[in-house]
Amino acid sequence: MKIKTTDLTKTYHLGSSEITAVNKVNLEINEAIFIAIVGPSGSGKSTLLNLIGLNDYPTFGKIFVDDADVSLLSSRERRKIRLFRMGFVFQTFNLLPTLNALENVELPMALAIKPQKEQREKALRLLEAVGLSNRLFHRPKELSIGEMQRVAIARALANNPEIIIADEPTGELDSKTAKEIISLLFDINRKEKTTVVVATHDEKIVETADTIYAIQDGNLRLEG
Amino acid sequence: MRYTAVVKEMNVLFSGQIMVVDEDARVIQAIPIGGSRILQNRTEQLLQNITGVDRTVPILLLTFIGTEDTTQFLPVNFSMGIPVENWRLILGPTPLKGNIGHFPTNESSNEVVIGASLADQCNWTVGKRITIGSHELMIAGVLDTNMALLNRCIVMPLKLAHELYPTYSESVNIITIKPIQGFSQENLADAIEQRVEHVKALTEDEREDMIQPILAQVEIWNIGLQTVIFLMSLILVMTVTVMSVSERRRDFATLDAIGAPLSYVFRVVIFETSLIGVLGGILGIVFGSLAALVLASLYTNIPLAMFFPTFYEIIPPFYMFEIFLAVVFVCCLGGIIPAINATRMRIAEVLRAEY
Repeated sequence: MKIKTTDLTKTYHLGSSEITAVNKVNLEINEAIFIAIVGPSGSGKSTLLNLIGLNDYPTFGKIFVDDADVSLLSSRERRKIRLFRMGFVFQTFNLLPTLNALENVELPMALAIKPQKEQREKALRLLEAVGLSNRLFHRPKELSIGEMQRVAIARALANNPEIIIADEPTGELDSKTAKEIISLLFDINRKEKTTVVVATHDEKIVETADTIYAIQDGNLRLEG
Repeated sequence: MRYTAVVKEMNVLFSGQIMVVDEDARVIQAIPIGGSRILQNRTEQLLQNITGVDRTVPILLLTFIGTEDTTQFLPVNFSMGIPVENWRLILGPTPLKGNIGHFPTNESSNEVVIGASLADQCNWTVGKRITIGSHELMIAGVLDTNMALLNRCIVMPLKLAHELYPTYSESVNIITIKPIQGFSQENLADAIEQRVEHVKALTEDEREDMIQPILAQVEIWNIGLQTVIFLMSLILVMTVTVMSVSERRRDFATLDAIGAPLSYVFRVVIFETSLIGVLGGILGIVFGSLAALVLASLYTNIPLAMFFPTFYEIIPPFYMFEIFLAVVFVCCLGGIIPAINATRMRIAEVLRAEY
């Protein structure tokens, strides 16, 4: 999946004041690349990822997925792209608390109406790959934060996405667990040729990334 | 429902017969209220001379309204005096409990039969002697019936009733008339009112018509009550579900973020409220039925245990099923707005609100 943005802008209105969270961002994300977007809190990282991940509509500018303009697609079409072509990893994991690890991973496949047997086999395989084959039937509250993030990564991989969008995936983790999660994302990028876009403060991720962007007050610039 | 059923069932007592009562009496199904006494012999003679009259039965039916417990809907008990040869004409095939005892056979007897509820409450059994006024009576049998009126009744020979209640000496307050087969009740009732002064003759339909306004009012109250309950339940389910959805907005937003169709999110919420409806419906029917029986028992003074054999007549299974469906429907309806709210949760907005 190739994503390109042109003059991507997102503004919010807070009372009488207008806040530009993302300001005329031009970004190109090629296939199988590992991109890190760095910047302080409130700089616009999450907003940019929400726009790229088609979870939000831009105020101005365009987003192209494989050269097709998706900026004004209906929410139904955007949902399809998110379900079948993208995977999401959140800072706070966002696992469904009533489902166990296996069910959380099966969920995107169930939404994609895949056969139940296939769902189960794939979920088992993914959880084994992230090192959680012994925690299959544990609910999120019974897992450590590192384990929860691994489940979230397994869930993101469930429908074989072409891109994984991770919003500060190590933000809540201790350094040792963070290192494991970075390594996991890196392996996915290298072995599966899945594009990974990570918003982060983490120096270790920055060191690993192929391309680094810095964002400040909504303005994006290439760092290296 | 039980109250209206009790009122309706009383008409069964004089089914197919015309009730002649004083012209000023109000009749609630089988029970005359107010009006003067009817001179028994003179009126009976006049009635028997009218074409179309097959048989007349004079009855003294007196009610004693409970004064200590003002919450009671029904009179505490009744006394009914009937000529001994007419037991079966009035009581129909009503058996005696356990086939023990007998109906009084002698007009001069001091024997009475009593309703089962009264027997249970006062711990009266067959053969027991009881005193009413200065008269000692003997219980000859206990009526085995589910009719509220007969359950609270002391049935005795008419002569004995006249002795017990001397103000009604030589008189009665009801004369029932069985028309000759094929003779119209309406025509006979008209003829009676023309030929006998100061009485009114009520056909079965007229008695039904007299009770209709009361039953209609009860029904209106029922509908009003049901509407209030419906709206309250709807608001309650909606409020609880709105709160529940609001507490889980991150979950719903996550579902949206990973691409769950709106219909899936909608169905999740409706399924949850339906489940509340199913569980609430089952528990509501169990506890509601028990509460209804306890209340019916309190209001009618009929022991609770006597309602259980006829449980499915009081609360028919189809009625339970209707209630169950109504509860599930209300819960589904109450879930619609919260479900729509859930489909509008967006991860970008939720995360922005959290940080």
